[in-house]
Amino acid sequence: MTVLKRIILLGLVIGVILPMIPLFVWAFSGSWFYPSLLPQSLSLRSWSYVFHPGSRILEALFNSFFIAASVTILSLIVGVPAGKAIGMYRFKGKTIVEIILLSPALIPSMTVTMGMQVLFIRYGLSETLMGVILVHLIPTIPYMTVSMSAVFSHFDISFEEQARSLGAKSLSTFRHVTLPAVFPGMVVGAMFSFLISWGQYVLTLMVGGGRIVTLPLLLYSFAVSGDNSLVGALSLVFIIPSLVILVLSSRFLTGESSGMGGFGGV
Amino acid sequence: MAPGISILSEVKNINKKFEKYALKRAIVVIPLLLTVLSSLSALGRSDEILPFEERYQTMDWEDIVAEADGQTLYFYMWGGNESYNRWVSSWFAGRLMEKYNVHLQMVPVDGPGVYINKVLAEKQAGRNSGGSVDLMWINGENFRAMKKADLLFGPFADRLPNISYMDESKLEFDFGYPIEGYESPYGAAQSVFEYNSARVPDPPSDMGALLEWAKENPGRLTYPAPPDFTGSLFVRHVFYYVAGGYEDFMGPFDEEIYSRIAPKVWELLNEVEPYLWSEGKTYPSNLSRTQDLLANGEIWFSINYSPDGAADYISKGRFPESIRTYMFDTGMIGNLNFLAISFNSNAKAAAMVAANEVLSPEVQYHAASPEGMFWMSPLDMERLPETYRRKFESLPLAPSRLPAETLNRFSLPEPGADWLTRIERDWQAEVLRK
Repeated sequence: MTVLKRIILLGLVIGVILPMIPLFVWAFSGSWFYPSLLPQSLSLRSWSYVFHPGSRILEALFNSFFIAASVTILSLIVGVPAGKAIGMYRFKGKTIVEIILLSPALIPSMTVTMGMQVLFIRYGLSETLMGVILVHLIPTIPYMTVSMSAVFSHFDISFEEQARSLGAKSLSTFRHVTLPAVFPGMVVGAMFSFLISWGQYVLTLMVGGGRIVTLPLLLYSFAVSGDNSLVGALSLVFIIPSLVILVLSSRFLTGESSGMGGFGGV
Repeated sequence: MAPGISILSEVKNINKKFEKYALKRAIVVIPLLLTVLSSLSALGRSDEILPFEERYQTMDWEDIVAEADGQTLYFYMWGGNESYNRWVSSWFAGRLMEKYNVHLQMVPVDGPGVYINKVLAEKQAGRNSGGSVDLMWINGENFRAMKKADLLFGPFADRLPNISYMDESKLEFDFGYPIEGYESPYGAAQSVFEYNSARVPDPPSDMGALLEWAKENPGRLTYPAPPDFTGSLFVRHVFYYVAGGYEDFMGPFDEEIYSRIAPKVWELLNEVEPYLWSEGKTYPSNLSRTQDLLANGEIWFSINYSPDGAADYISKGRFPESIRTYMFDTGMIGNLNFLAISFNSNAKAAAMVAANEVLSPEVQYHAASPEGMFWMSPLDMERLPETYRRKFESLPLAPSRLPAETLNRFSLPEPGADWLTRIERDWQAEVLRK
């Protein structure tokens, strides 16, 4: 087991940390030409731009964070009950509901973009934070629902029954029995939602129209123009929040929980 | 059972059902939210005064400036150059705010496709006012596409006082397509070749010589694959070279001329292909990939639309100091880029004020200076006040920058936009996938 853990750790380091090293070096480099291994000169040009008020990068950071957090909360509100319904109950038309819920994850969003754009404009939602949050829910709710239904399909309903027979009201049953059991699953689903929203480009551009500036939009402009130093700096700004979230939530991902049964329970 | 209790139990029943059908609740809530929001945004719309587009032709410039006061202006532009972004969002926006109380918001996007689609979708959705895009940085094919689809406001260029600093002949056509006042100049572009002077002390003087040079120096030349903007520019120069001048391509597309010249161009390009970078098996996808190759010493030539691009890159450390620029003795293509206003903008007055302000000699001078953004001004130096002409002339030239006089003397016009589309399409078939 420890050997396996070490191999996994090594894989994580090689796969996740190593590719970030060039980004880090680029972010602080002035000029760096082939074939030298290290930059010829260092510079803070990119960072002075990151903190330049006209660059809108800090605004984008705030927007990205606000949108991703709201999307996560909203998809929890929709996804947890939906996951419970799919994972624990049989009802008429369940397959249809499942297909409807999961279809946004299966159909590429590009194909429906134009139609949705017109719809959002009609409802006065384009170029608003609310609109961007709503459109991000399209890809996040399926992920949240899938991970929650997986969790609930392994959740033993008799825990709840036991609590109820001992006199707990439905709210306290949820708080003291159901919630602790499914909490790790909620964390996984919430992480998915946050990161999907955090990295969203096409949908943000479509509804936000460039006016709602998020980090991926700014990053993409510079990636296209090949300004590696700025791309490096922006990528670091872009990656750090996701790393923080990963570290903070990692203790919930041990899999040692009565409600945590892995995926594939749909 | 009392009726009250029966209702209560009914409600409980419904609640239970709802717990099971939690999804349905979600499905109900979202459209509900949408409806509420849309009705909220519908409130407070009033069309008491005539819209600006029905009044501006009879308004004095002072009245337009007065109307712009307090308007917020969303300026959609390509956001890939840090210097441009900085200049627009701080220096220029600051000036508009101070002078006219116009609040300019730069919206950096990765290409004109974004705002063309945006305005098009708004038109399709019937949003004829309050559009999200006010002012756009545009030219060529994109201008043509937007004007043809009636997505632009105008004519407005003739109403701008500072348009008098422009040479009128440059205000007629944009890539052969009639402008008719639907866009006003912003900057100029003059293509040059960037080359590595440490490797090539004496660069070839025309396209024919350059292609010959490429055969003697295998792997040291390439160009981005059209329809990339600069790749297509390179191929256009080959057309001019084969035809012996630009004159044939000035009118509307002519199949007879095209079929006489195009086969020779494809033959020439296919002949040199094995000697290009990576043996011509692949082409860089865009200008910045080509410039990376130049910076890293893999290739020694790269064509660029901006005569100041090399100086800008050297100052940022993206190019080594040894990069210089030059032009063919036979001339190289130049064009203008423009500002256009969307048909459904609510800040048309402010957009006109900004379009006018950007043409003032003082603003153009600052943009051109190294503190600005190494801008190439579209203004006609002959029409400027003496003091500004001197100031422009005394701008410090980076070693990699050609003097304005050279740039103007060797400048050639662009072919019409329909020539462009055909050339780009056929290059794919005749050179890339032959």
